[in-house]
Amino acid sequence: MNNAVTLRGIVKQFDSVTANAGVDLAIDVGEIVALVGENGAGKSTLMNILYGLIEPDAGDILVRGTRVRFTSPLDAIRAGLGMVHQHFMLFPSLSVAENIVFAAEPKKRGLLDRVAAEHAVRQLAGRYGLNVDPAARVADLPVGIRQRVEILKLLYRSADVLIFDEPTAVLTPKERLGFFDVLARLRDQDKAIIFITHKLDEVMAISDRAVVMRDGVVTAQLETATTSPRAIASAMVGHDIDLTSRVPTGHPGQTVLVVEGLSALGHGAHSVRDVSFSMRAGEIVGIAGVAGNGQNTLIEALIGLRPIDTGRIEVSGQDVTGAGVAGRRRAGMAYIPEDRQSVGLADAASVQDNLVMGHHGQRSQGGFLRLRALAAFCRRLVERFAVKITDSRQPASALSGGNQQRLVVARELAKNAPVLIAEQPTRGVDISAVEFIHTELICHRDAGNAVLLVSADLAEILSLADRILVMYEGRIVADIARARANEAEIGLLMAGQRPT
Amino acid sequence: MSPPVSIWRWLAPMFAVTVTLIVASLLIIALGKNPLVAFAALVDGALAGPGLGNLQATINRSAMIVGAALAAGLALRSGFLNIGIEGQMVVGGVTAAITAQWLAGVPVLGLPAVLLCAALAGGLWALCAGLMQLRLGIPLLISSLILNYPAIYLASWLVGHPFRDVTSGMAASPRVPAELRLSPVAGTEIYLSAPIVLVLAVVMALFFRRMTLGYAARMAGMSPRFARASGISVDRLGAYVVFASGAIAGLLGALAVLGEHHRYIDGMLVRPLYAWTGLMAVLLGGTGIPGLVAAGGFFAALSTGAMGMERAADVPREISRVLLACIILLVAARGSARLGGDKG
Repeated sequence: MNNAVTLRGIVKQFDSVTANAGVDLAIDVGEIVALVGENGAGKSTLMNILYGLIEPDAGDILVRGTRVRFTSPLDAIRAGLGMVHQHFMLFPSLSVAENIVFAAEPKKRGLLDRVAAEHAVRQLAGRYGLNVDPAARVADLPVGIRQRVEILKLLYRSADVLIFDEPTAVLTPKERLGFFDVLARLRDQDKAIIFITHKLDEVMAISDRAVVMRDGVVTAQLETATTSPRAIASAMVGHDIDLTSRVPTGHPGQTVLVVEGLSALGHGAHSVRDVSFSMRAGEIVGIAGVAGNGQNTLIEALIGLRPIDTGRIEVSGQDVTGAGVAGRRRAGMAYIPEDRQSVGLADAASVQDNLVMGHHGQRSQGGFLRLRALAAFCRRLVERFAVKITDSRQPASALSGGNQQRLVVARELAKNAPVLIAEQPTRGVDISAVEFIHTELICHRDAGNAVLLVSADLAEILSLADRILVMYEGRIVADIARARANEAEIGLLMAGQRPT
Repeated sequence: MSPPVSIWRWLAPMFAVTVTLIVASLLIIALGKNPLVAFAALVDGALAGPGLGNLQATINRSAMIVGAALAAGLALRSGFLNIGIEGQMVVGGVTAAITAQWLAGVPVLGLPAVLLCAALAGGLWALCAGLMQLRLGIPLLISSLILNYPAIYLASWLVGHPFRDVTSGMAASPRVPAELRLSPVAGTEIYLSAPIVLVLAVVMALFFRRMTLGYAARMAGMSPRFARASGISVDRLGAYVVFASGAIAGLLGALAVLGEHHRYIDGMLVRPLYAWTGLMAVLLGGTGIPGLVAAGGFFAALSTGAMGMERAADVPREISRVLLACIILLVAARGSARLGGDKG
């Protein structure tokens, strides 16, 4: 055994919540460990403790057998640990080399020695097979390459324990494979790697060992070679679940949404160009695509948050092209936004204030809110959607991610809109919330409504959608009925290739 | 995680006040005076005095400060930072003084008409700033601030030249005709602005808590992107609240003209720093109505008390400015500390 890091009896309490209740975990040199568990299981807390961002209440951290105490990430970095966060911490306007050597720059006469920096980066990149152009500006690079820059940053500081927080969430399928290659190469160079993930196929594809956390403790450690996704999933939720089911297809009826020749300007390359499609009542239409190919622009243009250049939008036979958000919602649209924190909710507002938004008009009289009706409505939704709250007056920010999302989903579903736009409805929520939200979306469809589902998770689209649209560079490049859909083909279309 | 928030909201200003008192004590000791005597004089100067005269002065001052705080708070709670309250007050005040000349002798409707004109003028002045943000993209913080200066100088010119009362030695409008004046609350020296501002505070609390539009405004203030995605027209809402905010300021200016000085005197609304103290009250007390009223009253007491302290204990009244600055710094520091250490 050759332990890189050992955690012993880690305990961390936040007010009344025990995030870590005595966690034991050892990671060996030359090993890839996948850390899985539902939201709130304590994974992030554990990794933040390991990286020195949080101090544990009790327990020991050992690095290569020596006990250490981290009061800040600087201590952790010095001890040879490095972390790649979900949101990259790079300076977009600086070059790759400048980003990598930041805070440990090679200097010449007190100034950054750019030549030496680029040379060092090139050498490092060559050693680990991480191809980057040291002189390129980070802002100009695709996400997959930016991630490499993050990794090189750690390697430059000679980290040999690498922590990744949901590293593949932002990658294309192809970039994902490239990332796995990098991980394997790092492992072969005797690095110890821990990555947090929600995707079981990734655990199976790349890890040596899956560490499952639930309720603040490690509940299972499974050798990847001898386990199955189902076993991991069961360990995560504590009971058996079914991963493979595809919901039965819906029975499409009348056309409820028509989009014709829609073009809208987004940020940079995210514009939408000449998009046409329609949706019928009783079907779920999935939009697949790598993040940043115009999905978000399309959705904002549909709901009325973004002006459109050309095109026409019709909801239930009513032309809403000229209407604002309010008009489109009145015509029968509801919207679960991708950005839950700042668009889906008002973080600081109470649970009730968040739930009644858009329902408050019907529960008003003569300009005054009918408070009792609102409270009753709120109670009903909290119960029906099993939102875990202690008080309807507590701020939404006090809820876990999964519960916040239930709040948003509850509010929008309760509008009974013929056209529901669900943008990344299950991103970053735990498995039981995912199951619940999926079931609710299907119920909504079966009640005779249309659901437009945008997701970066192809598996989600494949299991829910009756029809799949693939977006690439602002256009819809394919419209595939579910019966004919297969993952490999859609993956190619998402990457801009025509399957042959 | 969740419950300590409301306690903290009250505890933090208390903490700021305590620290400030300590700092002030040290300063007073450095001046060679007894801080206890000085504070006793401060309290006496703010809340007692012969015939409770000082208390009445404090209440009158509170009315203006709280009124300004309400005007700013209305906009701020809806997510719009209107810091041009001062200019809007001045516009309202000078409008009242001028229209009162024209409407002299109009029975019954004269007074409401003057008040309405003043509110309208203040509201439109604020709306100019509001439209600069909504149409031209100039942040309201800046547009509302810069409109203060033309308002103040325009008023100064109006009462200095075309509408000057030539019988008086100062730059002031002629006296408001007697039938358009507001008399103080019966049997006291408390101007009518105090009860009116109190009513306004209640109405505003009601607006945010009970009214449909108030709910929308509150949500827009907490998260404009959320409000927009939910179908609330945040821009139109902003135009309404900024107008209303300016109208309250304008009304306040008119109340000071009709009830207190009975004319517009150049600088009468600017020199006492009503608007800026009101903005500080919003900063200290938050946009919740009770906190805002309490903070406004506290600041008013501090500045009337300071005069008493100067008279009785021979401690310069500028000490009260130091106190104020100290509190604001502490409160602002708390705000940024919380912004920085949010994730737990």
